Amino acid sequence: MDALDPVIHQPARLQIMAALCQLPAPERVDFSHLKRHLGLTDGNLGAHLATLEARGYIAVEKAFVARRPKSFVAATPAGRAAFAGHVVALQAILKPR
Amino acid sequence: MNVTPEEAERSLRDIEASRLAMRSLVRANRGHLYLWLWGAIWILISLLNWAGVDRRGALSNGLAAAGIVASFAIAFLQRSRVRSPVNLRFVGVCIAMLAFSYGVWPAFLGFPHSAKAAFGYGTLVWLQLYVVAGIWFDNYLLWLGIALTALILAGFLFLPAAFWMLTILGGVLLVGTGFYVRLFWRSGPWTR
Repeated sequence: MDALDPVIHQPARLQIMAALCQLPAPERVDFSHLKRHLGLTDGNLGAHLATLEARGYIAVEKAFVARRPKSFVAATPAGRAAFAGHVVALQAILKPR
Repeated sequence: MNVTPEEAERSLRDIEASRLAMRSLVRANRGHLYLWLWGAIWILISLLNWAGVDRRGALSNGLAAAGIVASFAIAFLQRSRVRSPVNLRFVGVCIAMLAFSYGVWPAFLGFPHSAKAAFGYGTLVWLQLYVVAGIWFDNYLLWLGIALTALILAGFLFLPAAFWMLTILGGVLLVGTGFYVRLFWRSGPWTR
């Protein structure tokens, strides 16, 4: 049975992973769009992303767009697998025994 | 880790809400804007030629040039929100096909001599890219490229009197596919 992942279960990180796993595999989303999407502050989102990145669940790519630095974020295969397992574990809690 | 059923239910609701919001962002960054843009340009160029407007050749070229500029603008705006790694091999294939289509073949076979032939050739060059992209990335561009190619060829070879009417239909098909991509399609047009 899939186990709940305490790193993913935190509400903000859960929403981050849900959003990132919705993107088709190689695509990345801009940090500021993710921030607006989740209604988080720069610092708060940055801290949660750092936690997920340290666990290997997301990858952060720095790039320049129109000579301005931007960060693009994507879920890694390990992150997608962990998130899928977490969702299955949550659903299992709701199933009648 | 202990999670109550209420907490699990709330988490699943949050996940669904986050997914829905991201899905709308993903859809806003699909290829529909290009399809609407070029569908509209096809229709306008076809109408100019069908109506026999003066200086239709120059106007058609101007519309095509404006479309290219607008396409770059769309690419720039979308790339600042959601980006995919560039597939350099595919870009190389596109450049090679365009170079042969606009440089090599006309040098051997000559340039198209009529408005219908010029429009047909110009669109078929890009439609072959649609077909290749559709095969490469396994997406809707394959059937769109085949359908539009069949339409152009049918009009050019078998129904020359209805050629511009069929190209207007082609433009409508492009715009309609844009709506399909915007509303229903979930995978990226340039990625798998």
